[in-house]
Amino acid sequence: MRGLKALLLMAMISCLLIPGLARGQAAKFRIGCALPLTGVFGRDGNLVKDAYAYWADTINAKGGITIKGRGYPVELLFFDDKSDQAESAKLVERLATFEKVDLILGGFGSDSVFAASAITEKYKYPMVSGGASSNKLFERGFKYYFSTLGKATEEVRGCVETAGILNPRPKTAAIIGSDVLFTSLAAEGYRSYLKNLNIEPVYFELFPLSLDDYNSLLFKVKQKNPDMLLVGSHLVVALKVMKALKEVDYMPKMVAFSYGPTVPDFIKSLGKDAEYVIAAAEWAPNLKYKDAVFGTARQLNEAYFKKYGRYPDYVEVASIGGALAEQWTVEKLGLVPPLKEGDRIRIMEELYKLDAMTVYGRIKFGPDGANVEHPPIAVQVQNGKLVTVFPKEAAEKPVWYPAKSWKERKQ
Amino acid sequence: MEGEKAVVALFLQALVTGLLMGGVYAVYSSGFSLIFGVMNIVNIFHGELIMIGAFTTYWLFTLYHVDPFLTLPVSILSASLLGYAIQRLLINRVVEAPPMMSYLCTFGIHLILANLALLAWSADFRTVTTSYSGKGFSIGPITVPLARLATFTIAIVTTFAIYWFLEKNRHGKAIRAASQDKEMARLVGIDIRKVYALTFALGAGITGMAGGLISTYFVIYPQMGLPYTIIAFCVVVLGGMGYIPGALIGGLLLGIIQSLTATYLTSGLSVAITFILLFVILILKPQGIMGRGAVE
Repeated sequence: MRGLKALLLMAMISCLLIPGLARGQAAKFRIGCALPLTGVFGRDGNLVKDAYAYWADTINAKGGITIKGRGYPVELLFFDDKSDQAESAKLVERLATFEKVDLILGGFGSDSVFAASAITEKYKYPMVSGGASSNKLFERGFKYYFSTLGKATEEVRGCVETAGILNPRPKTAAIIGSDVLFTSLAAEGYRSYLKNLNIEPVYFELFPLSLDDYNSLLFKVKQKNPDMLLVGSHLVVALKVMKALKEVDYMPKMVAFSYGPTVPDFIKSLGKDAEYVIAAAEWAPNLKYKDAVFGTARQLNEAYFKKYGRYPDYVEVASIGGALAEQWTVEKLGLVPPLKEGDRIRIMEELYKLDAMTVYGRIKFGPDGANVEHPPIAVQVQNGKLVTVFPKEAAEKPVWYPAKSWKERKQ
Repeated sequence: MEGEKAVVALFLQALVTGLLMGGVYAVYSSGFSLIFGVMNIVNIFHGELIMIGAFTTYWLFTLYHVDPFLTLPVSILSASLLGYAIQRLLINRVVEAPPMMSYLCTFGIHLILANLALLAWSADFRTVTTSYSGKGFSIGPITVPLARLATFTIAIVTTFAIYWFLEKNRHGKAIRAASQDKEMARLVGIDIRKVYALTFALGAGITGMAGGLISTYFVIYPQMGLPYTIIAFCVVVLGGMGYIPGALIGGLLLGIIQSLTATYLTSGLSVAITFILLFVILILKPQGIMGRGAVE
């Protein structure tokens, strides 16, 4: 009898000491993410971090993720992958094996997410990303990788099709882009959509991200004098291209970027020089999207401004959409933390069945994990603000075309 | 005929673009060359001094609307003071130790400065956009951006000013004496540690000025430093390690070669050519193309 008592006592002490076994300690969802918080994609990664923090704060203010009437708060763990894909994979492995987080959210940048998602696949963690969209991410037969964004080549469709509604329609285009996964695919996307509109690509070049001086490249483009310049870009590339375009004194009738101008820093940095620029986007506050957590797209836009002093970029809202998708799936399945491998497999299976309207728009994943229900749009900088110009049914204002040359602009 | 004109115009434009880019390379490499020439230190936080200079200009322009060119004295002073303090407190302790010690020391400082800047200013990309940003003038079909022309001019003036200072000024002569024979300089009463601090402050100041200059046409962010250090290293190897006019010659040469490569081949190769040149020069002519640089 004394032996049995001692055994019971030891079992109780063990329950208190072993982390995760005590119910009180595990009553929250620990969610991890590896992001580029420094390095060349540092700014973009910090935007995604802000988006996840905004989602977590909103959910926690409502009591957390609700399972059978009980709220489980969310705790986020962010690791800096330094814009390095190998580091991203290493950190995600740490999240899965050492930190043993319940869920993993997608990072930023196709190269990093490409490496990280191989690890989440291995450890059976569903990962929904709002910051990576290269086609190759969806061509690996992975079951655990999802994206709220459309595919990279699809994303730029809005930019090219904007040319289709112009009168007179542009006849020639130059395509340039940095030679990394997302931007090189965006450049390929431009090329394929140009064919549909019979616009002739007169110049095509991919360049390394480390390129310092864009002037020589843009002088070559200037000599071809295309009607449109289409750029496969991230923020830093978009900024460099605009600076160089002014230095070489060249402004085609239309300039479009795959990513960059929707980040608030673009207009802030370039001021009036940002006018006329067109950018691919997948979300705009004037679209009629809404959900029960964040309200309408317009409401989210304003609330975000109140919190961060700036409006959200579409990648941020896509990331919030991704976090919502994971949250709703967990809630639907009634899973409580800590989540086990079996739970994560069920989440993956349920994500394929998801068809939900969110503040980001409709989310429905295809068999390859890409969001199949999200139409690309195009925005343009007009009077210091981004306005939706394509598709016609969502357009706030008509496209400003042709862009004025640098000399014609009032400074 | 039109086609021929276009071919000639493209070639001339490539030359001018390369020459102006070479001026940019020269202006931020001369401080690196000076510090190496006198102290035999490969300063790995050289790029962070550029970053400090660029951010000084950025903040003065953003907060107080001071014209970037008028901020240059402050950029020089801030980088100079920082360089002086780091030299007195840290570099002096390793300056006469084996080279590996100074590499480790300056590499550590590079990490500290880049991360402190990241904490202070976040990872945001920033640009200095003035009313004249990107403006230029045309000579026939050739476009010349004003800010780069100003940098190019300053690069030439700076090179000659340093050269004059080292050749004619009393302090400059002390620096040269210390770089040629430390023991003899000590015997004639030159305070070597003061000379090193002066050299470092001077080199850092020029580098800070370069940061201020490039902020008007390049994107600036806390972790921008390392690529600049790498390019400065290549420029200085090309021109001759420690030979001040070599930074100008190496910079111009690299700028022109890169521009011609980008124009007639691809932009990707223009980046690779930097390292191919470095490799070739280190093997075939380690004293630099002028044959005046130091070889260790």
